[in-house]
Amino acid sequence: MTTESVTGALKKARSGVGVGGSGRSPSSRERKRQFTHSRTFTLFVLPSLILLVLLNVYPVVYAGMQSLRNGDLLSAGNFVGLSNYISVVQTPAFLHATLFTIIFTVVGVFGSWSIGLALSLLLRTRIPANGLFKVLLLLPWVVPVVVSATSWNWLVATPQSPLPIIADALGFGNPLFLADPLNAQIVVCIFKVWISFPFMMMMMSSALASVDVNVYEASKVDGASSWQTFGRITLPMISRSTYISWILMTIFCVNDFPSIFLLTGGGPVNSTQTLVVLAYSTVFQNFQTGPGVAIAFIMTIVLVIISVLLYRQIRKVNIE
Amino acid sequence: MHPTTNHGRRPLRAGGGWKGTVMASQSTGSSFSRRGFLGIAGSVAATAALAACSSGGGAGGSSKPLKFWNMPWGGTEFNPTDKQITLAYKPKNGLPAAKYQEIQWANFTQTFSSAVASNTGPAVSSGGGTQAFQFAAQGKIAYADNLLDEWKKNGLYDDFFDGLVDTMKTDEGYAAVPYNLDVRCSWYNKSLMEQAGVESPKTWDEYRNVCAALKKIGVFGFGVGSGAGSFTGSHILTAFMINNGGGLFNADKKPDCVTPENIEAMEFILDLVKSGYSDPAAATYTSDNVQAQWKAKKFGFGWDGAGLPSGAVGDVAADLVVGDPLESPSGKKGGLYFPNNIMMYKNTPSQKGSEAFLTYYYKNMSPLWTKKTGIGLPPLKSIAATPEFKSNPNNVKIVDEWQPIFKTWAAPGTTGLFANIANTVDGTAPMITFAQAILGGKTDAKSALTTLQKSMEGLMK
Repeated sequence: MTTESVTGALKKARSGVGVGGSGRSPSSRERKRQFTHSRTFTLFVLPSLILLVLLNVYPVVYAGMQSLRNGDLLSAGNFVGLSNYISVVQTPAFLHATLFTIIFTVVGVFGSWSIGLALSLLLRTRIPANGLFKVLLLLPWVVPVVVSATSWNWLVATPQSPLPIIADALGFGNPLFLADPLNAQIVVCIFKVWISFPFMMMMMSSALASVDVNVYEASKVDGASSWQTFGRITLPMISRSTYISWILMTIFCVNDFPSIFLLTGGGPVNSTQTLVVLAYSTVFQNFQTGPGVAIAFIMTIVLVIISVLLYRQIRKVNIE
Repeated sequence: MHPTTNHGRRPLRAGGGWKGTVMASQSTGSSFSRRGFLGIAGSVAATAALAACSSGGGAGGSSKPLKFWNMPWGGTEFNPTDKQITLAYKPKNGLPAAKYQEIQWANFTQTFSSAVASNTGPAVSSGGGTQAFQFAAQGKIAYADNLLDEWKKNGLYDDFFDGLVDTMKTDEGYAAVPYNLDVRCSWYNKSLMEQAGVESPKTWDEYRNVCAALKKIGVFGFGVGSGAGSFTGSHILTAFMINNGGGLFNADKKPDCVTPENIEAMEFILDLVKSGYSDPAAATYTSDNVQAQWKAKKFGFGWDGAGLPSGAVGDVAADLVVGDPLESPSGKKGGLYFPNNIMMYKNTPSQKGSEAFLTYYYKNMSPLWTKKTGIGLPPLKSIAATPEFKSNPNNVKIVDEWQPIFKTWAAPGTTGLFANIANTVDGTAPMITFAQAILGGKTDAKSALTTLQKSMEGLMK
């Protein structure tokens, strides 16, 4: 075996030659065989790739084209460029929907995260029927949202519903939970937190399980209080999972159509209308596909920006 | 046969010592090579693609059956009965037979638009109330003028209720023929009305008095809803405008909402709301919530479709009675209805065949009503005269007293429906918002109507 530098050996390895090899490059027959293999591989993958493109890429491209036209559900319409985007962002309905989407998302993300984290910390303690509680607490997330929304409608919609009766009995009068715009917004946000906290609870449970218990023991030895342990050990150590869950829940909240549409339809008087509900009603109720799809694309761009910003935060946490 | 296992990377030993590569080389020794397999797969794919392309071809000869697409207009018995009627059709020589398909309401607009655009749609169909007019505007509809001329000769035309066929008329011709009627009328719970000591009102003033009497026994007199998925609230407000001689469109088919008649009508409604005669939560009531309120005997008088007693109203169904049309302060009577219809498309194996099938269908469709399949009211007097139909006194009253005064969305300007109705008022967001604003009672008539008109103008094509 000849003595050679590391650089030389690496160079040979990159050109496909082992240590002690002859140094001759692979023959053309070898290259041709590899090319045939690549082509075969590509041809086998192609049908799946075509299907993927047809089902995912084509609708997005077609929707993009629709957003540049003034058609409806029956006809493509004429090309109008970016005027749909410009006109949509100037409408009061869009501005209101944006504001409520932000409120709904902030409440949904942080409300569900807080409750999910609190419950996951509680479930780590020794309480009776711990396993049963874990299952029951998952139910709001597991039950289809159609069922949940119908149940909540039954709970609050009419003066004869259970919650208004309880509120009246407690001296709060007869509140209109869904017919009053402010109350409807509150109900919708609470509903979102209620169906989302189990997801956060699961995310935080798995994050907490990955924290080394020795760290807690060390902190006890150092005399750290519970709050200090929580604030300076637990939270930082689960921060990566926290940011990921925030990204996911932000996307879930912004894109959440059924929760709002089934509970209030975006009403009363558009008070609970988020951007996704506005996009739906613009396309399927008002038959304005261009502006409706433009709203959807604007939402997508904003979501991508938020996701990128939060993802950078995750990378910062990794590096630290 | 194994795909390459080195994933395109060059082997790290000269001569290519990968087992996978060697096995692939060995496989070329067999008679069935990779190339052969790919060739067979490509042929199969091409054959399937050609077969798919050829099956969606345009109008061919009359040997192809004509497609009849119908919606689920009633309960579970409706479509099987309808399919039986369709398949029993025996066409004359040279004309195509009919093929039946039930189309669900979910995403029906997309179903029809993609089918019609790709020339794979039906020759004859029902659908949304303004669908025929939207497709007519795109040149996809075969107008029914010729068919109606034939029906004038064979008596079928005269069997339609007066004025009904004209609701299908456009400037270019009749876009469809009326099929079943979806109406909005008043209902009352006769037990609660007796308890309140009042009778069915006949004028707006009498109606206000009925509401006041019902309020004294803790019951609402303006029972209606306008929540998620419920457009009835906006329908009833429009009905009151029409009742007063107003409506939403002028003779040029343009939005014209801020009229004295409409303002008077909406001020009347707002008065009912502010007087506490309307359920304060009604603005967000779904159809289920409305039915629950009827069932809970919280609605003594209200407004809904002809099928209210068939809904989830429980024992109250037996107590529900259709009210009388009201006379407005201007001395007028009126209401709103939606004449659902059947349309013919230009993409048909035979236009003569489409017309022959429709003639057969209209002469034989009475079981859809006599067998109580749940379909809306009939368009033909002969069906309304059957003993089975007449056994329901509420339906008889609607046909006898309400049908003659009903008008469409196009009122007061015109009788015939048109395409812009679909994107401005029929289940649209501005109409829902308008209804919720009025039922919420925190607006005035003129402002609400002005907002509605501006929104409608923004949606006009």
